[in-house]
Amino acid sequence: MTREEAEILLRNRFGIDRFYDEQWDVIQLLLKGERVLLIEKTGYGKSLCFQFPSVILPGITVVFSPLIALMRDQVNKLKSLGVSAECINSNQTTGENLSVIERAKSGAIKILYIAPERQDNSDWTEAARTLKISLIVVDEAHCISVWGHDFRPSFRRIINLVKLLPKGLPVIATTATATTRVENDVASQIGGGITIIRGRLLRENLRLYVVKVRNEDEKMIWLGKYLLNNEGSGIIYTGTRVNTEIYSKWFEYLKIPSTSYSAGLDAATRVETEKGLKENRWKCIISTNALGMGIDKPDIRFIIHTQIPQSPIHYYQEIGRAGRDGLPADIILFYNPEDKSLPVSFIEGGRPSARKYEQVMAAIRHEPLGEKDLMRKTNLKQTPVRVIKSDLMEQGIIREALYGRSKKFEYIPGAPKLDTSVFEQLRALKTSELDKMIDYVETRESRMKFLCRFLGDSTNTEYSNCDNTGLEKIRITEDPVLLKKLEDFRGDYFPLLDVESAKSKIVNGVASSFYGVSNVGNAIHRSKYENGGEFPDFLLIQTLRAFRKRFGQEKFDIIICVPPTISGDLVRNFAVKLSGTLKIPISHELVKCRKTAEQKIFENSCLKTDNVRDAFSYNNPENIRGKKILLIDDVFDSGATIKEIGRYLTNLGAANIAPLVIAKTIGGDLHD
Amino acid sequence: MNKKSVWKSSFSFPKETGRIFFLMNDKEIEDLTSAKSEIANNSFLAESLFNQGYEVIPIISPEYSKTLKENLKTQYSPAVIYIKGNKQILSEKSIAIVGSRSASDISLEFTDNIARLASLDYKVVVSGFAKGIDKQALDSAIKYKGQSIIVLPQGILTFGTGFKTYYRQIVDGDVIVLSTFFPKAPWSTGLAMARNPIIYGLANEIYVAESSDSGGTWSGVKDGLRKNRIIYVRKPDANENNANQLLIDLGAKAVDFAGNIIQGTIGENKELTLF
Repeated sequence: MTREEAEILLRNRFGIDRFYDEQWDVIQLLLKGERVLLIEKTGYGKSLCFQFPSVILPGITVVFSPLIALMRDQVNKLKSLGVSAECINSNQTTGENLSVIERAKSGAIKILYIAPERQDNSDWTEAARTLKISLIVVDEAHCISVWGHDFRPSFRRIINLVKLLPKGLPVIATTATATTRVENDVASQIGGGITIIRGRLLRENLRLYVVKVRNEDEKMIWLGKYLLNNEGSGIIYTGTRVNTEIYSKWFEYLKIPSTSYSAGLDAATRVETEKGLKENRWKCIISTNALGMGIDKPDIRFIIHTQIPQSPIHYYQEIGRAGRDGLPADIILFYNPEDKSLPVSFIEGGRPSARKYEQVMAAIRHEPLGEKDLMRKTNLKQTPVRVIKSDLMEQGIIREALYGRSKKFEYIPGAPKLDTSVFEQLRALKTSELDKMIDYVETRESRMKFLCRFLGDSTNTEYSNCDNTGLEKIRITEDPVLLKKLEDFRGDYFPLLDVESAKSKIVNGVASSFYGVSNVGNAIHRSKYENGGEFPDFLLIQTLRAFRKRFGQEKFDIIICVPPTISGDLVRNFAVKLSGTLKIPISHELVKCRKTAEQKIFENSCLKTDNVRDAFSYNNPENIRGKKILLIDDVFDSGATIKEIGRYLTNLGAANIAPLVIAKTIGGDLHD
Repeated sequence: MNKKSVWKSSFSFPKETGRIFFLMNDKEIEDLTSAKSEIANNSFLAESLFNQGYEVIPIISPEYSKTLKENLKTQYSPAVIYIKGNKQILSEKSIAIVGSRSASDISLEFTDNIARLASLDYKVVVSGFAKGIDKQALDSAIKYKGQSIIVLPQGILTFGTGFKTYYRQIVDGDVIVLSTFFPKAPWSTGLAMARNPIIYGLANEIYVAESSDSGGTWSGVKDGLRKNRIIYVRKPDANENNANQLLIDLGAKAVDFAGNIIQGTIGENKELTLF
């Protein structure tokens, strides 16, 4: 097929006039049965490089993709072009997936998107034996490499599969973000005489700015002004879930339509949020980096980071979504030197101790174990167990095998010793990448050039798209009107305690403030740990305001306070004062029936839940039946204690339990 | 990864090369080409097998059991074997102890003793994993800290509970599980019969604890003798009701409780075993 013939077909099937030269190069290689690694920026048209050959090739094209949102987008797009495309993923029912498999077997599907994890599923591996496969695609191929910013163990399975494929079956791996190291790693893993095609990473229409600030207030005020005065919609990335909440409430207060988005959301809400963004229902989405790589909206006009990302790769990846239509988009990074502590803590606290690895290895050496068995046998919790098992699998010490219908980890005969030096190397790499990100902030050269060079594109070009190369620098100026608004907002904004569940009579409560962002936390700390005496009165006033805002209209029968672990009568005395002011009788009959450890020493909510489970009892339980209860505590962290008491009081027949606390902590969970 | 090179080396050559160098006819080349086109499909199942620690060893691999290939000759050796466990075991000296599913105590004791001696001597015990003698041979080898090969009468993916039972031994590298059948094939009498020559083929020495005058052991030994294998049969007491003496008369070597050849008891067809 000549390029002219191909382009006629391209017009007819895809409504596109012509290929870029590199696209045509890739397509020719694939039609010859070769392997290609294609590194091109977001929006370049990587997908066309495999979608086009797939309509020519006789059999089916199997696309491994890690992102369900992206699969959905591409399948819908292909269907609208009349190309039979489907996906198999965990968001669809088993029945739906099976019917897709059946249609694929009958030859009715040209392009099939699947998640790499699907290789675990025997329905799929069995079906694959009868498919006529013409092309294999590995999307987001940087996930193959541990040196990339988003390594996924399931992608290792794809490599094993690709190694088994016969010569002559074309394979294409694509990514928008690979450093030279990742590029080499991916290419050597896929092997088979792979051709690497790397495009320019320059995005001329992105306008890069760095704004140095001294505190959160400056970020919030500047953002408020920006959103009120600029056209178009975009994304704001924050480092933590708590900040997505604060920012979205702040914008709500300014009447700017916005919504928050994080890994904590369920699938349906996520789909709805993605849809809303595309329909311009919001001025902005405030997100942790959970928004993933799958949003395909061409006219994102700004991407603003309120927290420094972990590395220039993360940053390039995240800003890549802006301005895919080629029109200008503002790319703004806020930087306050204190912000560095969040990614640092994430890098430092990444891995469990070597002793825990040994524990897990010993248990699996003894017998094959599932994840839950393993948690029980080792007394470790889910998060460390998952980190450990993933590392042990990566190092070829354990593997996952089916025993009957259930998956268990088994020890590999003759396995090597655990090599902890790899963890050190990864930590060192991450630290140096974070340093590079700080360099990006401080650089006086072209910011685009800086990012491109970091990602292996050192082409020499004149850049004029950042605040170092012609664009006017953004400076923070005072804005008394918005400052006043922010103060009002802070005074009127009380963090929500999200504790409701179907089985409990507990309702979402309220805190008077966040622990870390005001003088509230300091005051609590002085009283609790520095012999500072009773909680000061301003905490009482602030807590009463939070109460009036959230529960002002409700009647309560009784105030109960959470029994202390170590801080003596502080909470009790505080609750007595509240009781006096609110004229709600207080009960002191909720007691601890066993000793518990301080919640703050536990690292995860499983442990916290275990620590307080069945730890409370009420002296005269008959007095609880049908009562509306206001539950008082000082600091709300994971919520495990409050939820446990809620569960217990529900069982005693309470009608309603409303938690009220002085402060809610800000978790350091960078990625959640 | 040698798995990859094995697939590749056998399948990537142009048609002309096939015709000239391998003297293949067009039909054979076509078969090979269609086999090649199926590799892509089978890759998905194969990856899933490999990921769980199963391995497929083709006959051209240096890891394929040399004993098996020598005993069965290339023509009758299975094209691939499926294994899980320490494949180093396949290159050790080995013995098989065979016999009926409902064996007498004396035969079981004999089996135990032979397995003990083999283990002491670092010889691997090949077991067909049937009731009676096979199972005793395996259990004894494990008891005496020897190594063993479990030869399955079924596909390797259908051995679920067995992998759990022998987990420690597999992890410690003392047991390898082997099958020559399609991985998902369930147990059947036919496969059990087809497995017998594999057991004999994997062993350097074959010991018969007890045989009746029909059934698997009987036909297996006769087949072995026909192929000029040396087969040691436990010399029965006069009052035993089995066909051991018949096999000795057919040319098998009589051995005592410790496996030593009992002189002067070589059967009528002694010329068969003298080579």
